[in-house]
Amino acid sequence: MSTQVALHVDALSSGYGPLQVLFGVAFDVRAGEIVALMGANGSGKTTTLRTITGQLKATGGRVLLDGEDVTRMPPEELVRRGIAVVPEGRGMLRDLTVEQNLELGAYVVRDRRAVRDAFERAYAAFPVLAERRQQAAGRLSGGQQQMLALARALMSSPRLLLVDEASLGLSPAMTETAFDLLLDVNRTAGVAVLLVEQNALALDLANRAFVLERGRVVDAAEGADVRAMQRRLRDAYLGAEAGEVTS
Amino acid sequence: MLARLITGLTSGAGYALVAVGVVLVFRSMRVLSLAQGEIGAFGFFVGLRWADRGIPGVRWHISPLLTLVVAVVVSMLVALVVERFVVRPLASRPPIDALIATLGVALFLALLEKEMFGTAAQFAPSPVGAWKIEVFDATLTAPRVVAFVVLVVVAVLTWALFTRTRFGLGVLATAGDPAVARVLGVRVRRVYRFAWIVAGALAGLAAALLGAAFGGIAPFDMTRFGLRALAGAVIGGLDSIPGAIVGSLAVGVLESVVGGTFEEPGTAELAVLVLVLGTLLVRPRGLLGTEGAT
Amino acid sequence: MKPSQILAPVAVAVALAWSLLLGDVKISVLVGVVAIAIVALGLDVLVAWVGELSIAHAAFFGIAAFTTVNVGDRGAPWPLAIVAAVAATALAATIAGLPSLRIRGLQVAITTLAFQVFAERYLFTRGDVTAAGRSLPRPAMLEGDVQLYLFALVCLALVLVLRHRIAVTKAARSFVAVREAESRAPCFGVRPGPTKLLAYALSGAIVGLGGAVFAMKAGSISAKEPFLLIESLQLVAIVVVGGRGSAAGIVTAAFLVKGVSQFVSSVPLVDARPDRVFPITSAALLVASIVAFPDGIGGIYRAAGRGADRLLGKGGARPDPRPQPVDPLGTARRGSTLLTVPRPLRLRMPVPALLRARDVVVEFGGLAALDRISLEVRRGEIVGLIGANGAGKSTFFNAVSGLVRASGSITFREVELVGRPAAERSALGIARTFQDVGLARSETVSTNMLLAQTWLVPTPAAGAILGFGRSAADERAVRHRAEIALELFGLQHLADVRLGDLPYGTARIVEIASAVASGPDLLLLDEASAGLAPEEAHALGDRLVALRDELGITLVVVEHHVPLVRRICDYAYCLESGAVVAEGEPAVVTEQPRVVASFLGRAHAATGGRVA
Repeated sequence: MSTQVALHVDALSSGYGPLQVLFGVAFDVRAGEIVALMGANGSGKTTTLRTITGQLKATGGRVLLDGEDVTRMPPEELVRRGIAVVPEGRGMLRDLTVEQNLELGAYVVRDRRAVRDAFERAYAAFPVLAERRQQAAGRLSGGQQQMLALARALMSSPRLLLVDEASLGLSPAMTETAFDLLLDVNRTAGVAVLLVEQNALALDLANRAFVLERGRVVDAAEGADVRAMQRRLRDAYLGAEAGEVTS
Repeated sequence: MLARLITGLTSGAGYALVAVGVVLVFRSMRVLSLAQGEIGAFGFFVGLRWADRGIPGVRWHISPLLTLVVAVVVSMLVALVVERFVVRPLASRPPIDALIATLGVALFLALLEKEMFGTAAQFAPSPVGAWKIEVFDATLTAPRVVAFVVLVVVAVLTWALFTRTRFGLGVLATAGDPAVARVLGVRVRRVYRFAWIVAGALAGLAAALLGAAFGGIAPFDMTRFGLRALAGAVIGGLDSIPGAIVGSLAVGVLESVVGGTFEEPGTAELAVLVLVLGTLLVRPRGLLGTEGAT
Repeated sequence: MKPSQILAPVAVAVALAWSLLLGDVKISVLVGVVAIAIVALGLDVLVAWVGELSIAHAAFFGIAAFTTVNVGDRGAPWPLAIVAAVAATALAATIAGLPSLRIRGLQVAITTLAFQVFAERYLFTRGDVTAAGRSLPRPAMLEGDVQLYLFALVCLALVLVLRHRIAVTKAARSFVAVREAESRAPCFGVRPGPTKLLAYALSGAIVGLGGAVFAMKAGSISAKEPFLLIESLQLVAIVVVGGRGSAAGIVTAAFLVKGVSQFVSSVPLVDARPDRVFPITSAALLVASIVAFPDGIGGIYRAAGRGADRLLGKGGARPDPRPQPVDPLGTARRGSTLLTVPRPLRLRMPVPALLRARDVVVEFGGLAALDRISLEVRRGEIVGLIGANGAGKSTFFNAVSGLVRASGSITFREVELVGRPAAERSALGIARTFQDVGLARSETVSTNMLLAQTWLVPTPAAGAILGFGRSAADERAVRHRAEIALELFGLQHLADVRLGDLPYGTARIVEIASAVASGPDLLLLDEASAGLAPEEAHALGDRLVALRDELGITLVVVEHHVPLVRRICDYAYCLESGAVVAEGEPAVVTEQPRVVASFLGRAHAATGGRVA
């Protein structure tokens, strides 16, 4: 795995009007690795993703993609630089068919043959989607929508995948499946993944991890330390409230 | 009676052209534009002025066919300006603000027309010739026939756009969820501009053909025509282009049949009002609309 | 006394005095302008308060004027003619507003446009409607132009009083709820349908008065020009340029658009006739205003008032947007006042299970968001609902609130909630908060506190405006309750701050306070601790326990903050994919493998609860 940095987030601040949500968030994602950005509701993790993609305007700091400053770049341009996004709640275009959703995943791909190849790969990897290619996306089950969202994001053969709460609304079993898919994609295609999550299971796949709390990065771990971070998160969940003693 | 029906279909075709533009804008941006009729009228008025007095500076009196071309081009330009400077700044405001803004545009254009051309109806020579055809008892003048043919062409083109082109797919994606469309790489701003330009062009076409079909056009006429198109769009379902076409044809037929049957002035308006209210009461989303229309 | 408060009355007095010094002809023109201003103020009720656009107000104006002449010419005394006009126009407007019960604002604009066109091409072409040939005799005491002008001003004053009454009673609050949060309004006890119709009726009544004034000035009406579509559009221009919601701005705009052109013989620079320049300028101003100056002339007045305040050192400092510490003992005593609510005895009986859900199913487009949920909440408990995002917790609240269609049974004190209109919840004793703060962000904290207590002013809004029955006493009572509820949470210093200007965490606490003010038996809190720091979450936990102990409110809390659940909850349910997968005491439930798996994944569930 190279140490070349794909995505570099530097002292990023942003918010909604007078309400500031992020206060100098900093982390990076190196080529080919999986990074988990953990945080509870209200921690600012979705805001971070939106600011990186340009849906929300940053008030301070920078976002660098392969060295290029993309802080002010709108999402539709960012996607043309090899980033794909799996939005929160999967971002299904419910009235369009599975096939149309996949085709939109390849919107930025100009070469017709490349698009056809991408379709073949998608249907081979996800036979369920091949069966339902003419069905409206809104009619798929939660797990199937998750598959479609992931397949759609991969249609453009991205170098970096930004995944916003893949576990939303999924049972533990389905969440595991989704994470397995991401791991697979990372291993076989070398796609870097930034996983924004609430579910600590994400740390099973992560090479590195950061914890976000009220708009700031409060914890970071790499390699073997990621397991320790997972245990810390579990303790926090199980009852280490301010002042409470765990036996 | 059949004659009235057929004539009504051709007026309805004119309204449908405007209505398709209204629906296109509504679907892609959730903005209901009340200005479509007037934008088209303004374009046609400029065309008529240049036919009547010649293009300023050049002294060239353009031919009737060119009045149609001018109508389309000027309407497209006006639509572009409106999208950029009036509607786009209102993107994050409640929808009523954009509605009021388009109302203001319609008012402004109508008053400008009144200023430039006076209140009397402008005689509008047919841009497409003076021929007529007979269909089942009905005598259809050239503009009416052309309006109907154009509508069919537009219907086919929009179908092809949405099913066969990548850009059309992008428009559908924007209509579904602009935020998701953006992260898929759709240049949403282009989609918005496209919707408005096409709507403007269609309105210009409709004004030129309807104005000629009705013998003349006066300021604020197109607001009334625009109302019929809006009624058609609402009846058919605000987020359905086929619905806009069906609804507008229905309005055209209804007003032709009712207007011809009853002597009292205004019964056609009453009938259209009843149709609109009735449809909305029974099916708030319109005949072919989806949940998104309400 | 702040300068901004006396600025308006002084300006009005000056304008009034000046106008009375004008010659007769000009005063006669002013009567017409005042009539238009009144009509615009009527349109403003709809546009500013409820947020619906009407393009039919010129038609209503016409109906009012014609009715006045029609009734007045038949020998009825002129006050009766005015009353008839007001009633007829209110009725016409209500009818025109009926579509708003089924469809949303954008399409309603089109139905009003259709009404306008129908009126001008059908109604106003009929001689019996337009009172053709009839004329309204000028009443003896209004013979002179000055007297008529003063009469017009009295009518304007009446309209301003009416608008004030609307603003200080539950009517305005209900309108705001419909405008900002129509789908959630029933949770506050507001029924959107009747509320909208009331707004149309009031709007029409005001227009009726304006039309009557116009008719009295004109005597007989031969032309229908003032009632055509273009006039409807110009009325919208007056409302928007004047500033939606600002009476002073709208009156000024009416004068500018309709009055100035009569006084000026030519417009400098442009060398065109004023009656041609002003309308088109007003149209341009309408577009410019809505895009760039949404507050209109009224915004300018307000800014001037604030500037005057600051100049004289009377400007207020910004209050600290965080809750202040609360004195537990004092507030407990005051807080018990909130327990006194007019609830029937059967809803006060001690019952073991306050809320019972049996096999509740909620489906969205074929997918089950709630898949046969059964749970029970006992009186006096604090029950926790935990589960991953999207598990169905908020959907359950929506089912209890009646905001989504559910099948199965949800009973509250033996009363079946499924199928019952959502607006009845607060009267039954159920209140709730929303994940994204379901209140009206453009209104003050105070207004929102009053909004939540709508059910405690049972007099219908129309009656409340007129001060019928107990409405005045009830109004005082809810204001008192709002104060106490704010004190309970340390928010009393923020009463006059706009909710949208407060930080997210404080806004959530305001929402809780407003729900408590409504005197509920059962309070549903949706992620109250989201975004709070650990100390703040701890303090919130304490306040919630106090709510239960001192006010006897039973709580159901949706929470992600598991330690909070373990500390304050008596019972917990864990939801996953729309079903209950675990229930019991929080300490036990939160350690069950299935539950741990929802948050941490199955591998960790397998290694058991605590770390060695």
